Amino acid sequence: MRRAASSVVLALAIALVTTAPVALEAQGFRGWTSTSVQLVELRPIGLDSVPRSEVSTDAQGRFFFGDAEVTCVLATICTGYFALDDERTLAATQDLAVTVWGLGVQGLSVTAHVRGRARAGGDVVWPRSDDEFDALLAYAQLQRGPLRVRAGRIDVRSGLGLSAFDGGSAAYGLGSYRAEIYGGRSLARGLREPQNEALRGLDGFLLDQTVLVIGALATGRPWDVPVTVHYQREILRDRSSLVSERVSFDASRAFPRARIDGSIDYDFSFQRAGKGHVTLSVPFAEGRWLVEASALRYVPYFDLSTLWGIFEPVSYSEVTARVGWSPGAWGAWVVGGWRTYADTETVVILTPMRDTGWRANAGARWAPAPAWSFDASYDLEWGPGGFLSSGQAGARYDVTASLTASLSVLSFQQIEEYRLGEGRAFGGSASASYALGERVFVSAGGSLIRHRDGGNVFTSPWNQARAWTSLRFELGGDPGLGGRGGGG
Amino acid sequence: MTSRALAASAAIVVAVIGFVLGARAVALPAQEQVPFPHVEHQGLFPLCTGCHEGIPDGDAASFYPPPASCTGCHDGVREERVTWSGPTDDIDNVSFEHDAHAAELAAVGDPPQDCASCHVPAGGTRMAVAEDVQLAGCWSCHAHVANDHMADADCASCHVPLASTRFDVARIEALPLPADHGTDEFLASEHGVLAEADVGRCATCHTQDRCVSCHVDTERASIAAVPSAPADMELPVTPVHYNVPLSHTDRDFLATHGVGASRQSCGTCHTSNDCTTCHIQPLPEAVGSLPARSDVIAPGAQVVGRAPSSHESMFFIEAHATLAAASETACSTCHEESFCVSCHDAPSANEGGGYHPAAFLSMHAASAFGRDSDCASCHNTQVFCRQCHLETGLVPAGGGRLGPGYHDDGPVWLLRHGQAARQNLEGCTSCHRQVDCTQCHGVLGAFKVSPHTLGFDAERAWARSPRTCLACHVGNPLS
Repeated sequence: MRRAASSVVLALAIALVTTAPVALEAQGFRGWTSTSVQLVELRPIGLDSVPRSEVSTDAQGRFFFGDAEVTCVLATICTGYFALDDERTLAATQDLAVTVWGLGVQGLSVTAHVRGRARAGGDVVWPRSDDEFDALLAYAQLQRGPLRVRAGRIDVRSGLGLSAFDGGSAAYGLGSYRAEIYGGRSLARGLREPQNEALRGLDGFLLDQTVLVIGALATGRPWDVPVTVHYQREILRDRSSLVSERVSFDASRAFPRARIDGSIDYDFSFQRAGKGHVTLSVPFAEGRWLVEASALRYVPYFDLSTLWGIFEPVSYSEVTARVGWSPGAWGAWVVGGWRTYADTETVVILTPMRDTGWRANAGARWAPAPAWSFDASYDLEWGPGGFLSSGQAGARYDVTASLTASLSVLSFQQIEEYRLGEGRAFGGSASASYALGERVFVSAGGSLIRHRDGGNVFTSPWNQARAWTSLRFELGGDPGLGGRGGGG
Repeated sequence: MTSRALAASAAIVVAVIGFVLGARAVALPAQEQVPFPHVEHQGLFPLCTGCHEGIPDGDAASFYPPPASCTGCHDGVREERVTWSGPTDDIDNVSFEHDAHAAELAAVGDPPQDCASCHVPAGGTRMAVAEDVQLAGCWSCHAHVANDHMADADCASCHVPLASTRFDVARIEALPLPADHGTDEFLASEHGVLAEADVGRCATCHTQDRCVSCHVDTERASIAAVPSAPADMELPVTPVHYNVPLSHTDRDFLATHGVGASRQSCGTCHTSNDCTTCHIQPLPEAVGSLPARSDVIAPGAQVVGRAPSSHESMFFIEAHATLAAASETACSTCHEESFCVSCHDAPSANEGGGYHPAAFLSMHAASAFGRDSDCASCHNTQVFCRQCHLETGLVPAGGGRLGPGYHDDGPVWLLRHGQAARQNLEGCTSCHRQVDCTQCHGVLGAFKVSPHTLGFDAERAWARSPRTCLACHVGNPLS
């Protein structure tokens, strides 16, 4: 939340802290806290120089230092990307999520999910570890019959993705129908910070003011078809420009022998359809077989707060088929997909780039006994921008009712078509989790990946080692699944 | 009522005097009591009403002679002293009002019946009512359609509620089981209907304690009407059993049980604690109508939380977003928002958990290209992705380089990057800043390369967000 913590959020956080003891004495609460620490060792890359005299030239005029392509502008020095020495960082995350109710007002509850981060040592700044505190959720809720009102830091999930804002929402449910309206200050996606502050220092074109968001969400089951329609509009605070305006539509329908679901969104600001998909799932033989076919259209989404949208990214369309087989303790599946990109309307020099791609995935799971399970899968993907071939296998063993151990190995090869770096990597991981009673869970593990060069500029850039441990403590009823009589 | 039946009933008026006096003709277990020696006193008291003068009139106070009257003779001089202290507690459950029955006889003009009409003739050890008198007498009016004593019976006509008796455990356990109680349907559904129709029948053999040992809805009229056992009454221990209704076995029951859920439909067996095994705040309205487990005696048919059938699919992870989007309320029944956020908002420190699979970091580039993961739904690529790429050296501190070196086509890359950018602009933004592009693109760029396609609607763009246009253009580009 940095310095942008709104007074509303702070007030709610304070209210939560001050009312929690009262709530614990009153009706109920539930929540969890999780402390995670991870050690990461990886090998960054950096721009370095090599003597021009040690660089060779191929028939196309490209320069190489050994097998590594470099850039030679000056007469004596060439530059290229090389792997640097291993670096480490220790990142810690502390989560606290709690919902309390019974605050003396019928239907009133307070929900908060806060996250603290810290980094200890190392030169690598792990993503977001410099953001010491975030209030992911922090709102007060009043539920009176079919009416639900929230105020604070709220998020909304739908076919438009995950949107968060500081403001208020009101929802009204009538039978299987529900409508919700909301509005407030929009937060950058996944960052829980005002958009103009989230991008500060990272780009040259910045919003100089906050973004306001309004939206409406409606769900219902007409003719037993669950449907969701979500409209959202973001504008600059001074209303001088639109930031985004989209609507999404989701629906699914279960038939006795099949299920079909689909979604689509429309971007009013660019006046074009966005992402959309339709999936048909057909189980056979009492669910032991599952056949699924999907059609997907994907368009990268950018709002008008940046210039990216006006570069007009194109969509791709993909069809996917999946067959799953699960006869008892076994389960296996095969997935295949093919996609094609829309015309980019760009002038291509020399060899045109690929505009189709495909992917395949196959895997299996086997649980020979309740305490044992094994799984393995293989992925192959080839398309514009990248190639990936990877396989993994793992085993899980419930040593006791409280102790679980797992082990996995993997290998992958990836070629990033537009970038340097290819080769093969091998690695594995081991982890264990232990339940101390019903409310305390401890887990720890480590992983190691080693890179074998593919003959390009980098030297083992994918090498990495990790170790992690976490402690989770549940308060009140299980907040994730199953209340165990904590409320009511 | 026929005259014959009325006559028979009248006979019982007197006969039941024996009941009241302690006759125990209905095969009751004998209690520790010395029966009054009627035979020895019959000469002294030739008429029953000499001692039991209140019986014909229904005067309960004078049903029995006062114990003190015994001392008139048994004074230790004329006769030895006796310890009779009056009638013992009635351990029978028969209810018979002599005066009412006598009045009915009189109303139809039938003569009154004497005691011996029903009671064992003089000389019997006890003033019992013979079984044949019960059959011929009582049942001639209170006749059952069937001959079974307890079939379709109006029990309360002749019996007091169990709670009003002094039955001990053995006596209660010895009560006969009506034939209709033996079926599975009786416990599952029929007994409630029968209770609603005639709660007196239930109360004859049961106390309210039996009902509330299973029932959660103790306020139900048919339960409230059954008298509770006195505090000192010991009851047999009966197992609590809940039949699973047929509706609950439906595969989709978990998904559809909320429709029509109410105190009426669920409150027979379930407490609100059963609901909160899965449901979280805000709770459905029906939950609030149910009592808490602590407020009732019955344990309730305790449920075990389990995931809906959709979660059992091995493809559920891939499908859950669509399911959630189509019905958010279905998710929020069991999951709080923080449950979603713990995976969706940020990477978990536990590599084995969270949204992404293990080793995702190492392989995420291809996944991002292939769009198997829709990165931008949760991540702001310009911040989240770029920050890490910056730290790991993929992005030089001064910004993305436009010269050859990083991208693997050398000098040619620059001339063909447009197609790649339009195909995967999110990938570009994970390293590059906007200014990297505007160095060449736009009216202010070095080469003034237009970033727009031929179909670009400049008028619409200006109308919606002039500030975006002004990032490159000086003034309205359309003017």
